[in-house]
Amino acid sequence: MSKRTAESRVATDYRLSRRQFLIATGATIAAAACATPPAGQGAPTGGAPLGTVKLSAWTIGPDAPSYYRRDNLVAAADKLNAKLGSGTNVQVDATFESGGQWGDYLQKFTLAAEAKTSPDIILAGHENFAPWVGPGYIVPLDDLIAKYQSEGDVKDVIPTLWTAMKLKGKTYGIPQDTEARPMYYRKDLLAKMGWSKDMIERLPDAVKNGEFAWPDLVLWAKEAISKGLVEPGKGWYSRPSKGADIYMFYYQNGGEMQDNATAKLVITKDALQKHFQVHADAVLNDKIMTKTIYGMDAGKEWHPTVTDGKVLFYNAGTWTWKDWQATYKVAEQSLWDNVGFMLIPAAKRGGKPVTVSHPLAYAVTSNAKDKDLAFRLIANATTPDLNSKHSVTSAHLAVLTTQKDDPTYKQDKFLLATQYMLDYTKFIPNHPKFGIYDDVLYRFLGAVEQGQNTPAQAVDGAVKELQGQLGDELIVR
Amino acid sequence: MARTEAVALRREATAAAWWRINATALLFMGPALLLVLVFFLAPVVITFTMSLTDLATSTGLSNWQWIGLENFARIFRSQFWLTILGNTVVYVAVVLAFNVLVGLGVALLTMHMEPKAGGVFRALWLLPRISPSVVYALLWVWAAASPPFGMLNYIVAPFGLEQRFWLQSDPWLIVILINGFVGASFGMLIFTSAIKAIPEDLFRAARVDGASALQIVRRITLPLIKWPILFVLVYQTMSLFASYEYIYLTTNGGPGLYATETWSLWAFHTALSNYYGNLEFAYGAAMSAILVLMGLAISIVLLRVFRFGQLVAEPRVEVE
Repeated sequence: MSKRTAESRVATDYRLSRRQFLIATGATIAAAACATPPAGQGAPTGGAPLGTVKLSAWTIGPDAPSYYRRDNLVAAADKLNAKLGSGTNVQVDATFESGGQWGDYLQKFTLAAEAKTSPDIILAGHENFAPWVGPGYIVPLDDLIAKYQSEGDVKDVIPTLWTAMKLKGKTYGIPQDTEARPMYYRKDLLAKMGWSKDMIERLPDAVKNGEFAWPDLVLWAKEAISKGLVEPGKGWYSRPSKGADIYMFYYQNGGEMQDNATAKLVITKDALQKHFQVHADAVLNDKIMTKTIYGMDAGKEWHPTVTDGKVLFYNAGTWTWKDWQATYKVAEQSLWDNVGFMLIPAAKRGGKPVTVSHPLAYAVTSNAKDKDLAFRLIANATTPDLNSKHSVTSAHLAVLTTQKDDPTYKQDKFLLATQYMLDYTKFIPNHPKFGIYDDVLYRFLGAVEQGQNTPAQAVDGAVKELQGQLGDELIVR
Repeated sequence: MARTEAVALRREATAAAWWRINATALLFMGPALLLVLVFFLAPVVITFTMSLTDLATSTGLSNWQWIGLENFARIFRSQFWLTILGNTVVYVAVVLAFNVLVGLGVALLTMHMEPKAGGVFRALWLLPRISPSVVYALLWVWAAASPPFGMLNYIVAPFGLEQRFWLQSDPWLIVILINGFVGASFGMLIFTSAIKAIPEDLFRAARVDGASALQIVRRITLPLIKWPILFVLVYQTMSLFASYEYIYLTTNGGPGLYATETWSLWAFHTALSNYYGNLEFAYGAAMSAILVLMGLAISIVLLRVFRFGQLVAEPRVEVE
């Protein structure tokens, strides 16, 4: 039997009569009609599966003023379900994890990802995504962003924030919040040193315009100490522990952390030495900052001291504005009356001031069974109303251009007054070995502040150590 | 041919005899042997194997590569490996001396006290050991806080000593004390029970002969608790060598450039604790592998120096 003959027989066996064809067609149309929900109830869109879909999400916390990191995902499920219609019901199991401890949180996710038990959605700092991309713990979102352009308000994310979400040209996160890290100052202490009310109120602009630079800040801190307004060592308090804030003084002096072309880590020797010098001068020479700042207990000592009005200048995040009210029971009006905020002054007059932001972002994990739905949930949590709730509650800045018009956001004068800082902001790099880089620089900073190394020695030591540890992943300039 | 068969038969007979003699021992030893293989030997093999790879968070279990001895080369490229090794030696030596001397001192003193008072005193000394590690460490952190906080500052003030941030100005003092008090209580327990086991007749006879308290300690007590002292020395040496939890919870290896970082803490920091989440499992494993080798070398030295064979021999009482 030839091939042709066999095919002819199969075709003959399955030939339909006109009656059979009409019956089959009618039945198909009827079945399709029955499966389609009535107009108005909405059909599942974007190929969403029918029935109940459970999505899990981890967010860090509980972090007293930042509970909307979790709650916004839950609220977004309602928005998403309304769009999906009755055919699909998304249920969200969003949890706080690790009691706010970043190290534990990240480790827990890593282990869960390897065990294929990670949640569908993970919230993390943008730089945390870098080590997760190699083993594929999270997935790139570019296709999903393109596919669901009209979902939520992802299209309105402030453009500069996308920089922090990218690694090797691909986008791995949707910004959940961001912030700036201002230099706070005591208005009451400046007034006691003879500053007029107008001068005090104009200080942020003077910093912005480069009229008030770092040497001016040091000068006034020394003045406050010499006049007995603050104790020695309390002219300026920097961050007492590891964190992105440290790099503001490196950036202030022209430092670079990552090469745009190669994505390699960069160390700028001259800027690093100036960064170390700022701290050496503050602690050892000018004595405007206490030697005990390194490792000082933030909760028990740093915050109580600054909220008591005992320090003239102190840099911290925008979120601490709300934290001081919630945790340290400082009345908001008292803060407005006595505390001002400005960018980190430029290294020299006429220079550009700086701050650092550390956006947190939602990512879709490779373990997510329905990545489309996980992304759509995130997209629906990225709206002016939900993001503004988080911003206002926790003093985090807007991540959407449209938030400035949101009624909730518009009522918060602190956020409005600090939003401009994002125009001056820098980020820490997205690189899988950034942790090594950070550890070395932080230890040498401690050595400088403790007088174990001079700034020049610390630069030599840090560069040598970084070269030994990072090899060709480091560019020295 | 016949000769070959004879040899084979002799071998079978030898094997059968060996099984007859050792079967019971193996049966009893089997479970313990299995535990040793699974929980002691296997982790060492895994650690050594892992140290030859680049396994890290950024590679995951799916993307790692063999890199030979590069991790070991990297350890010795660090300008701090010698500092950290030195810290480890100082930490083990000083804390060990504190543990043994203070533990022995407390045991001797409390044995010369009225029994109930001695019991209460010993119970107080046990507090650091029975307190949860984190609670105990945090108490020290708060006690050593910077002025005007910190209980230590209030204690030293009447003596005219300068108030300070003890964890920063005197990190080794705090590290030694916090570990020393925990270790001393262990020594105290072992030494107390050993002293109590000495026949009372010996002390009575010495007193009848007019021996002073110091002479009794020197001539009777110490010689008779020589073995418990050696046990505490050996056990504590190995234990301190691998321990880091109190350093981690107090100074975290600082301040500054690895001032109180020990080898085991360095391995922990590298493999399991990174602020930005990129853990270097293989590099930390290489550090642990070196720690295992160092531990092994010290064990062999201690076993030889202290003649460990005799330590585990039949119990006996030695009198000079």
